[in-house]
Amino acid sequence: MKVTVKLIGPFVNLHGFSEKAVEVPPSSTIDEVLGLVGIDKARPKIVTRNGRAAAAGEKVEEGDRVVVSPIYSGG
Amino acid sequence: MNGWTGQILRVNLTTKTFQVEAFGEKFAHKWVGGRGFAVKILYDELAPGIDPLGPDNKLVVAVGPIAGIPAPNTGKTVVAAKSPITGGYGDGNLGTRMTEHLRKCGYDALIVEGRAERPTMLYIEDGKVEFLPADEVWGKGTYETNDWIYAKYGKGVGVLNIGQGGENMVRYAVVRSLEGRAGGRPGMGAVMGSKRLKAIVAKGTRPIPQADAAGMKKLGTDDLRTVHEMDKKSGWSIQSTTGVLAWCNEVAALPVRNFRKTHHPDAWKCDGERLNNARIATYGCPNCTMRCGITIHDDLGRESELDYENVGLLGPNLEIFDLPPIGALNYMCDDYGIDTMSGGCVLSFYADAVEHGAVSGDLRFGDAEGFKKVLTAIALRQGRIGNLLAEGSMRAAQAFGRGSIDYAMQVKGLEVAAYNCKFIPGMALAFGVSPIGAHHKESWVITFELKQTSRESYGPEKAQKVIDLQRIRGGLFEYIVACRFPWIELGWSLDNYPKYFKAVSGIDWTLDDFWKVSDRVYSMIKLFWLREFPASDRRLDYPPAVWFDPANADTEGPIAGQHLEYDKYDGLLQHYYDIRGYDRRGFPTKATLARLGLSAEAAAAEKFGSLA
Repeated sequence: MKVTVKLIGPFVNLHGFSEKAVEVPPSSTIDEVLGLVGIDKARPKIVTRNGRAAAAGEKVEEGDRVVVSPIYSGG
Repeated sequence: MNGWTGQILRVNLTTKTFQVEAFGEKFAHKWVGGRGFAVKILYDELAPGIDPLGPDNKLVVAVGPIAGIPAPNTGKTVVAAKSPITGGYGDGNLGTRMTEHLRKCGYDALIVEGRAERPTMLYIEDGKVEFLPADEVWGKGTYETNDWIYAKYGKGVGVLNIGQGGENMVRYAVVRSLEGRAGGRPGMGAVMGSKRLKAIVAKGTRPIPQADAAGMKKLGTDDLRTVHEMDKKSGWSIQSTTGVLAWCNEVAALPVRNFRKTHHPDAWKCDGERLNNARIATYGCPNCTMRCGITIHDDLGRESELDYENVGLLGPNLEIFDLPPIGALNYMCDDYGIDTMSGGCVLSFYADAVEHGAVSGDLRFGDAEGFKKVLTAIALRQGRIGNLLAEGSMRAAQAFGRGSIDYAMQVKGLEVAAYNCKFIPGMALAFGVSPIGAHHKESWVITFELKQTSRESYGPEKAQKVIDLQRIRGGLFEYIVACRFPWIELGWSLDNYPKYFKAVSGIDWTLDDFWKVSDRVYSMIKLFWLREFPASDRRLDYPPAVWFDPANADTEGPIAGQHLEYDKYDGLLQHYYDIRGYDRRGFPTKATLARLGLSAEAAAAEKFGSLA
């Protein structure tokens, strides 16, 4: 199944893309999706799935939008 | 007295006189500097009920104990006065070489009183003070004024100035310094304008008293280098604060169309990636290695320096998504010396009011040229609409009527920053209880709220986090006067700040000692409000009504159908008051004030309003 991964801020430069569709096995978790695109587990971040905060073990579904962002503090 | 010069410069523009006043350890240790000094001075010296735009108001410029000394992001100065937009205590900070020069002139604070007969520039050079004519630049923008000052004194001096917005007493005019950005959202520029004070220039050469100057020099310069390396490694400065825009759009927290919507498919056009691609220069404050200002060419080819708040509020909030016109509106605000955040909210409020029939007009969302014309009318106070909008969205809504106050995006009169809290209860609380009106600088709780808690929660964990952040951001960083970015964006440990404080003052404080000062400063600000608004209640701490309106809930996206709820918000507010030791009206109790060493101030406040 396909999910969209969207990166924000320095993650774009670190990984060389801003947004892309990723083919993932059924029942993949957020952590597994991030692993597929090479996101460093240890780096502080906030991950959302379809606009709501997502836990590492949460399962994704076809068509989901997974967003990875630094933990900003505002302007 | 190590850590402080121990002197305050008091200047009277009416009489063109000045005097140097000494303060002792007791005052220094109780209030530390910056916001702490400012609120204590203003509380003690301003009679309640004075006109904030009259000669009786006072402008305080205050720095902190590590100001002017190389250390991570310590180039900031606080400007404060009774606010013309809220009627309560108002302040703001900005990066400026004034920080270093004021201290090197021998002062930790400057108090400006009275009103000049003619446009005036105050020039301070060590022990010398001059009242110089500024007629030549009265009516000019901040860029031309700054150039005029640099031509006279060179680029190394410290400068604070105002544009036409301040001169015309637009209630959300700011103080500008081209070495950093702008400060004093609650109308500190209007206070300068009311005093006919176009600019303050300082050039200092005196040493700054420090307990361990050599140790501080090594510590500060080493740490500046380390923070720079941390920033490079993290990549934060690639988009700086503007990375927030794409995130807010994803999580339904972006202000779109006067906060009516929380996200927009075109938002990517003005996000951090596009800004970084359009970047022609990077801008930062003195003593800073995290240069957060991204400069682009606007639609007239002018250099406009942007960060998240001004892009969010002058862009998507007005349904403008192209960077050059956003840059133009930002440039105009900066040149006029008008706050970009309140400016954006006032413009969006007006377009919303036209759309909802509260006032007649032809302005429409997305009309960049139309917004430019209205902005000019505001800065120059042209016509009925320009004059009304120059008063801010709360007063304009009171004039327009027809329920428009519900979508005037303000708290206590001050417009909200670029976070749409339609369904973010903790951040709505942060705006509600910000002590100067809605401002994000006090407590930015969204990422905690979304990552560590349930978004739906109105529980005490959110109130506690708002307080924790207020103690750091609105407390420590406002009275020691330093930028929060190394800590919050890079993880630079807060434990470094007691080290700097000890090196300059010789005083060995823990962070808990600082938090007590933070609570004292917040309570002092509350007493200022009590004196001005003795009959006020907890509704003063409510966010804009439109966030509670089911008819305004998103119809699609992550928070479809959801909105804030009054009963639950009120419960969250009560959690905040309970943890703070405030009464049900939202004021500190006598017991809280006694614990913070404010019994005398409490007794003085009780002449005007009761305390529990």
